[in-house]
Amino acid sequence: MADEKPWKDVIEVTRLEKNWVTRVELGSRLIAIYDTPSGVFASLALCNHGGADLCDGYFDGHVIECPLHQGAFDVRDGHPVSAPATRPMKVFETRIENGMVQIRA
Amino acid sequence: MSKAIVTPLTQALAEGKLTREELKGFMQRSNGPGLRHLTLCGLVLACTTTLVTLAWDSWLIWPAMFLQGIVLVHYFSLQHECVHYTVFRTRWLNELVGQICGLIIVLPHRFFRYEHCDHHTYTQLTGEDPEQIPLPKSLGEYLLYLSALPYWRGKFTELFRHAFGRLSEAELRFIPKVEYQAVYRDARRMLAIYVAIFLGMAITGWWGLIWYWIIPLILGEPVMRFIRMTEHVGRPTVAQMSENTRTNLVSAPWAFLCWNMNYHAEHHYVSSVPFHALPRLHEKLKDHIHVEPGGYLAAHREILRQIRQRSRV
Repeated sequence: MADEKPWKDVIEVTRLEKNWVTRVELGSRLIAIYDTPSGVFASLALCNHGGADLCDGYFDGHVIECPLHQGAFDVRDGHPVSAPATRPMKVFETRIENGMVQIRA
Repeated sequence: MSKAIVTPLTQALAEGKLTREELKGFMQRSNGPGLRHLTLCGLVLACTTTLVTLAWDSWLIWPAMFLQGIVLVHYFSLQHECVHYTVFRTRWLNELVGQICGLIIVLPHRFFRYEHCDHHTYTQLTGEDPEQIPLPKSLGEYLLYLSALPYWRGKFTELFRHAFGRLSEAELRFIPKVEYQAVYRDARRMLAIYVAIFLGMAITGWWGLIWYWIIPLILGEPVMRFIRMTEHVGRPTVAQMSENTRTNLVSAPWAFLCWNMNYHAEHHYVSSVPFHALPRLHEKLKDHIHVEPGGYLAAHREILRQIRQRSRV
């Protein structure tokens, strides 16, 4: 599609924290990259409930939990899994290309 | 650069008090420790229930009910852990157990979660921390707080306010709009369950729950007020977590009953850490937090000293 955002390199796959969440900076944005059993996913790193950095949170399977209030999101589509998270988080289309994690952002 | 808010955890990581690898290790969850602890809590409750039964026809029922009450009010500690999803790895189990605890101690789980979120965001900040217990101005005020009468008045006012579909100014700030109706529903459901229980007792003529649950809860709540005061009361009303919260070193039975919540400063530093890992986190953070080695009693001696000092001014 003509108006699709371009793919951007964010981090080498080898630098990802295995089965965990890795923080990367992309321009002015903090991005969370998740290494999961079903692949790599990405979202904005700041929790949309209290603004804390999800990259310091507990990560289990496909669920990232905010370190401040323990609201949680499914990283595959961003939907809130448990309160106090009530709104979906922003996720990015993600792929791996030549050993790099790329996101559309 | 979009910036995360500064939390005690981000500070601890930035200052090197905790490494990312250590944090990861402390946060790991499993169902085993929570299920074992819950089973033991159930056994303790069964023991005190047996004591009440054995003491039924004598004055000894009062100390037995007091013991039962101490155990019952500590279900608050379990509910609190469930609010943080740190009892069980399976998230819905935290929700289920938290709801049951809330029913036992008259504290709707969803509402408590939202209130508690702001307690963690604005710990000890006057006017912003919805759970703040102010330092009593006098010995009379201190004793009144410990009687739990203001607590129960507040809780029932809150419950009925929600059942009637209303929220206070403060509650409007910390409960998301999409959850207003759910909070009202929870309060109505809780009251309906209590009414059903009382009706059930009236119909069957068996009023045992008054003696096994209601009176013990009333007798025990001052103990929980006594414990809750030790967490922050008398500490500075500032944002610094190293200052505003007190960790109390208590004996094993008390730590067991409160699910290690005596490690309160550690809990506030990293609320994602499950109860069973808090003693290990304490070893890591103990030089960076305020620790009361004399436990609850010493914390109250300090609170009373501050009240006396204040009265003299």
